[in-house]
Amino acid sequence: MKALGFIAVLGTGLLLLAASRDFPNWGDPDSPASSYRLSRHFITETINETAVPNMVTAVLADYRGYDTLFEAVVIFTAGIAVIGILRRYGSRNSIPSARETPLTPKKPDLIVESTVRLLIPIIQIFALYVIAHGHHSPGGGFQGGVIFGASFILLALARDLKAAQNWVAEKRTLILACCGILIYAGIGVLCQFLGDNFLDYQILHRILPTDPVMARYHSILVVEIGVAFTVTAIMFSIYSNLSSNGKMKEGI
Amino acid sequence: MIDQAPAIVLLAPFLTAVLVVLVGMKYERACFPLVLLGLSFSVAAAVQTILQVVEAGTLRYYMGGWPPPFGIEFRIDGLNALVALTVSTVALISAVYSKNRVPEENGDKISIYYTLLLLVVTGLLGMVLTGDAFNLYVLLEVSALTSYALIAMGTRRATVAAFKYAIIGTIGASFYLLGVGYLYIKTGSLNMFDIHEVLVAEDLHRSTTVLVAFILITVGVWIKMAFFPLHAWLPNSYTFAPTTTSCLLGPLVTKVMVYVMIRMMLTVFDPVYTFVQLNWGDIVVWMAVIAILVGSLSALAQTDLRRMLAFLIVAEVGYMVGGVWLANTAGLVGAIYHLIADVFMTLCVFLFAGIVFAKTGKREITATHGLFAKMPLTMAGLAVGALSLIGIPPTAGFFSKWYLIQGGMASGHWGYVVALLISSLAMAVLFFRIFEYALFGVKPAEGHGDHHAGDQGKFSEASASILLPLMGTASLVLLIGIFNQSIVSIITDFLVQFNLADPMFR
Repeated sequence: MKALGFIAVLGTGLLLLAASRDFPNWGDPDSPASSYRLSRHFITETINETAVPNMVTAVLADYRGYDTLFEAVVIFTAGIAVIGILRRYGSRNSIPSARETPLTPKKPDLIVESTVRLLIPIIQIFALYVIAHGHHSPGGGFQGGVIFGASFILLALARDLKAAQNWVAEKRTLILACCGILIYAGIGVLCQFLGDNFLDYQILHRILPTDPVMARYHSILVVEIGVAFTVTAIMFSIYSNLSSNGKMKEGI
Repeated sequence: MIDQAPAIVLLAPFLTAVLVVLVGMKYERACFPLVLLGLSFSVAAAVQTILQVVEAGTLRYYMGGWPPPFGIEFRIDGLNALVALTVSTVALISAVYSKNRVPEENGDKISIYYTLLLLVVTGLLGMVLTGDAFNLYVLLEVSALTSYALIAMGTRRATVAAFKYAIIGTIGASFYLLGVGYLYIKTGSLNMFDIHEVLVAEDLHRSTTVLVAFILITVGVWIKMAFFPLHAWLPNSYTFAPTTTSCLLGPLVTKVMVYVMIRMMLTVFDPVYTFVQLNWGDIVVWMAVIAILVGSLSALAQTDLRRMLAFLIVAEVGYMVGGVWLANTAGLVGAIYHLIADVFMTLCVFLFAGIVFAKTGKREITATHGLFAKMPLTMAGLAVGALSLIGIPPTAGFFSKWYLIQGGMASGHWGYVVALLISSLAMAVLFFRIFEYALFGVKPAEGHGDHHAGDQGKFSEASASILLPLMGTASLVLLIGIFNQSIVSIITDFLVQFNLADPMFR
């Protein structure tokens, strides 16, 4: 079995090496990926069509917004899957865990406590900045959401899961995650109701006080906020399920 | 709203999935009606789509209003439309079956289970409808993640099986993604039809990178569809999963991957490339022969009902892969028609296994002892599915095998033809064994010459919510068989563009 695995790995490696023989040169401006009409269109037209200076954001949330919706759904799915597999409700069929007493001492450590207290607001503000500034710089819903979620995880690590759940209880996490997806998909469906295709933001200029191009620009922000909701919530949900063995009680 | 039908096929289950989480927190009983509603919308939209396709030809739906290759499009031809309708119908049938089964098997997580169920349907539908190679990967991930969870929510052994599936499935998905990446390096596009145009226009079919991309995508898809010898994840996953899960995933996941393989071979890479230039038909058909034989013969050795059916899936995948690589019209028609027919046959037998488990609590084949007297309708349902799997007219299975055998003879692949016949025999043995148990069987524990052996002979049919889906599926198997001409004509209309009658495909 080991030999078979080795042969498979070796074969795959050789295959990948063979593929690289035919690659365009590193950074070649004439390579198909950079010279084909697709990337040329994105480079020249993005600013005219969506008014977003950051091309990556425009491609992500507008040209390929349908992909990104389902990227967010992948994260949502992961969270739901973790709940489905790990979560144990109530005392029913609960397996007594090795240690019922929490590892963390009841009395919080002064240094850790005050550091975290100082850090968390800064982390969260930075997360909001990353979400909102996706139009101009690297950032957006996924990155900002991860940072925001990390602030709750930090709280849970520094004190215990209960402390973090005082801020975002289990139900609230799920509601938040669903809201994120509903914001994103809701914008898409709204476009359908106004008579255009799914996620065709430009039609929103009818209900927003802007022109079609700026309607795209603003919708991207809304969509990013939706993604951020989901990512934040699911990050924390996965952490709390994993760390508390699905019981949502003590945590690490 | 009619032009929105292609999007609604996918959006209805997707939005319902999110709603089910929210509603399920408070009103758990509302989940099931919501699921039914969402899936019914999806089926209705799929019917609408297929009618439009038959009437007006290929349907295109630009997501976000961006024309391809800049945006993502749904490009729906006969093949897509048929498979999408199949997927949503099967989802609806399994959902009806789940009514009492989910509360019983996953009682504390009803809303979570239904959310995952709807998301896996969303993922599969998305893969079928999309015209974008990368978008297909994203939805592949959605459907894969959900299926791991849906399987892991079964018995304890299901968790291990799901873990194995997760590892192997991730490798398959990565292979696919890597292949798409290589195609992007060489063409600069992600839209399937655009990639095809660039490949042909710039004569990229000679490129090694494109060859490697083809190999990676094909192997990745084979892993995902459990093509022998890459099937190791499948039997345990479907054996130990909750019964609703195996009714939903057993028929669908492998078949949707067969669809992806066909789409990749014909639409993205050209049939001239896959069949003539590479000329691997012989090797792959022989691999399919081995898959068919191993699948059918392993099924004979099983004592667990669902495990036996799982091995039948391995054999059926061999049928379809072989049929596609025969590289002639009859083979491809057979493979695609078999794809659709097999979904319903497999669903039929998995529903039967689910009902037996629900009624007796047993997983073994021997649990069918004396069932003809006890549950005649259930057995009738199984009989239709089984006869179709064996290939007896007028069930759907007969016609698909007919086309496949024709295709095999046209290309002179006698090994494939023989394998099909042997596999049919094996299935006949399998199912007639069950019939024998069910007709003449005496429960060993209660036998001993006692005339009134317990409740054995008593009529005790399964409840309507699990019986109706089986009846519906059985009648669909018959209908697909009887109306095979209209389905085949949609398939041939789709295949005409590839000009497979050309003598170079010999």
